[in-house]
Amino acid sequence: MTVDILPALPEELRMVAEATGRSADKEFDRARVRAFADGGDGPGESYLRAGAELGWFGFLAGTEHGGGSASGNGFTDAAVVAAERGARLQPGPYTGHSVVVRTLSRAGARADVLPKLTEGECWATWLGHGGGITATTSGRGLRLDGDVTAVAHAADCAWFLVTAAGPAGPVQALIPADAPGVTVRALSGVDLTRRWHAVTLSGVEAGADSVLPATRERLAEQHAVADLLTAADAAGAMHADFTLVVEHAKSRIAFGRPIGSFQAVKHLLADTSLWLEMSKGMVAAAAVALGDGSPDAYSLAAAAASFTGERGTEVADNCFQVFGGMGFTWEHDQHFYLRRLTAAAVEYGTPEAHRARLWDLAAAGEAEEN
Amino acid sequence: MTDLNAYRARVGEWLAANTEPRAEARRGDPLGLGREFTPDVLAAERALQRRLHEAGYAGITVPEEYGGQGLTPAHQQVFGEEARPYVLPDFGLMGHVCFDVCIPTMLAHASPEFLARRIPAILSGDDLYAEYFSEPDAGSDLAGVRTRAVRRDDGTWLLSGSKTWTSGGHYADYGMCLARTDWDQPKHRGLTWFAVPATAPGVTVRRIKQITGDADFCEEFFDDVVLTDDDVIGTVGEGWKVTQTMLFYERGGGTSGSVRSRDESGTAGRGRSPVAPDLVRVAAEAGRDADPAVRDVIARAHVDDLARAALGARLGELIAADPAKAAGYASYGKLAGGHFDPVRARAAMRAGGASAIAWEATAADGAVGGEDAQPPAAEVASAQLLNSRFLSIAGGTNEVQRNAIGERVLGLPREPAFDTRKPFNEVLKDARTWNGQVG
Ligand SMILES: Cc1cc2nc3c(=O)[nH]c(=O)nc-3n(C[C@H](O)[C@H](O)[C@H](O)COP(=O)(O)OP(=O)(O)OC[C@H]3O[C@@H](n4cnc5c(N)ncnc54)[C@H](O)[C@@H]3O)c2cc1C
Repeated sequence: MTVDILPALPEELRMVAEATGRSADKEFDRARVRAFADGGDGPGESYLRAGAELGWFGFLAGTEHGGGSASGNGFTDAAVVAAERGARLQPGPYTGHSVVVRTLSRAGARADVLPKLTEGECWATWLGHGGGITATTSGRGLRLDGDVTAVAHAADCAWFLVTAAGPAGPVQALIPADAPGVTVRALSGVDLTRRWHAVTLSGVEAGADSVLPATRERLAEQHAVADLLTAADAAGAMHADFTLVVEHAKSRIAFGRPIGSFQAVKHLLADTSLWLEMSKGMVAAAAVALGDGSPDAYSLAAAAASFTGERGTEVADNCFQVFGGMGFTWEHDQHFYLRRLTAAAVEYGTPEAHRARLWDLAAAGEAEEN
Repeated sequence: MTDLNAYRARVGEWLAANTEPRAEARRGDPLGLGREFTPDVLAAERALQRRLHEAGYAGITVPEEYGGQGLTPAHQQVFGEEARPYVLPDFGLMGHVCFDVCIPTMLAHASPEFLARRIPAILSGDDLYAEYFSEPDAGSDLAGVRTRAVRRDDGTWLLSGSKTWTSGGHYADYGMCLARTDWDQPKHRGLTWFAVPATAPGVTVRRIKQITGDADFCEEFFDDVVLTDDDVIGTVGEGWKVTQTMLFYERGGGTSGSVRSRDESGTAGRGRSPVAPDLVRVAAEAGRDADPAVRDVIARAHVDDLARAALGARLGELIAADPAKAAGYASYGKLAGGHFDPVRARAAMRAGGASAIAWEATAADGAVGGEDAQPPAAEVASAQLLNSRFLSIAGGTNEVQRNAIGERVLGLPREPAFDTRKPFNEVLKDARTWNGQVG
């Protein structure tokens, strides 16, 4: 079963979706997800390699950098993968990693690192997308200081893309996770399907070759990739949770009939499925617009993240209510979806923050047109 | 493809030469409620419709033998795209009902003779059809209509009863009317549709004043109205099938309405998207457009707008992929409107603050100012608020859509029904004394 961000997935994409599902089920099935949530090990090296073989990490990189799209639109490909991963509660910073891949590929920078990322040798993620890091110039490079929190899987990453406030506006650099001055601290978190960390940078030096362009447009695209994949992961988690709850509503009997026949339950689920359908529609619209280079693509991605952030938690809450006491137990999967969707609504910005960016994007668009 | 391109060029040329460019949206609201269809206004609209028909641009997908053009939905879409900047015939809400609901329903069920006789007159703008289906005692429970049609020995029918909430009933030429023709059958059987002339002896049409003060809908009373078999739409006693088709189109299941193609819904390949300009105007006129809380309310409404457009595109694709579920999917579009229109209208009121509840009187309220003066944004917002539950009630309430989604799309079991098997006569009798016992 696939999430079907697009109702009729083109053949190549359907194959990516199905293979992603199969691979996840083989490399990190539900039992492993549960063990991981209980503090057990995350996936090993084979997990990343298997994902790389399916193209997971290369969809947003140009072919000249070892990337390539399955369907002709790498954004749709990546969104489909993110949705399948979300549905299966997969670990790993897929969103942040994809942002880094896209950024390096567009900049044509760090040809020594990019192939490692697309081939699944290691993870990378994005730090400072919401502020918190400052930069001063240091020779021809940068010196980075600051704290960021709630970074997914920072300890599993070999590279960080750091966005920081420089003396004359935003700057960016790629740094190794083990660079002097980098501290990664494990946090406890509500979302047990992923590991969470705080990262401190104190006087981290980034050489000139590691400095990346940080124009408004580049940053806007990075946000758009993060928004799209966050929304897609959330849509996948919503889809899986909702699929479970519909089955439950059909099979759980109370007062002599399935609970799904009670209007209070049926209507709640109808509304819930509307949020789900709209969320999928938004992910598809944003992915298609990004692929087309449409002028409103970044706005659509921000809107998708805002919508799925709010509606995703509502879907999880509604499912919770329909599961009854069962949803309150550790044994039931409901809480994993609730946890993941709760984190997704914040990780790359709250719905309010996404909406604030919508205004910024509109203002930037107007400025450009004038 | 070249065929479509040539068609597009031809359409564009004709429209430019024969129609007026469209000015700003009309005063009032996007549903077109509140426009007064005086005889002069109506005559002008009919004349424009006639020209459209004569030029071959009415009934684009309607078969040629019924006065249409026999072209594809793609042609229809091209026409729609080209026509956007021009003024087309506008018969208000009833126009949508007539052309987007009544015509396709008739095409699906009426006899070839009926279609050959009636459709050309609709396309030429001579005969406009309203929907006579809701009754004072049967709205959501449409199969519970009590208007009766009795067949007489000479083969004619006698219609008696009443209908209500008929949009545009006061300027419609006909009503597509659902009546009970067999009271000894369970309620979904024994129903039949008729085309009832609004001017037939025995028909009384009365306008109903709405919450906005306008009077766009009507009630009708039928006092032994004589009809013939020529007026029957579809098969006698099988009116429920026709009803289902009708409701599908009513809920936007056709080419227009809430289900649109990805291009048409504008989620791809269009320009930048300014944040809800109409709401920004409400806030700006109130001097509140810099308030971060107001800005968040507006942006949230804008996000919902984008999500609705994306849903429209998705529904089109879902229906194409699985036409058997079309009716259920159409309910999503309807429910989205029923949910988000009121939410959006409230957002506008919040954006306007005190200015949204009281504003300077303008021309329309009897004060000085030109006919064309832009009404204050707050006035528009309050009109929209009062109209905002249109989609959540008309054509099947939100609750009815939720049932349809729950049962037809999600496959949840139906609620126990105790009125579907027994003769309708008995249903009415038993309802009066119902004590909560089922079966
Ligand atoms: C602006 C406007 C234009 C209209 N235009 C037309 C027209 O052109 N032609 C026409 O024929 N009709 C028209 N209608 C009528 C419209 O279709 C009905 O109002 C609608 O179907 C609801 O019926 P009702 O008003 O009888 O409400 P009711 O059916 O009495 O419903 C009242 C409340 O009970 C709820 N309810 C009823 N049954 C159930 C159930 N089984 N489960 C849960 N809740 C239930 C409803 O959802 C609603 O909240 C129009 C209505 C409006 C508001």
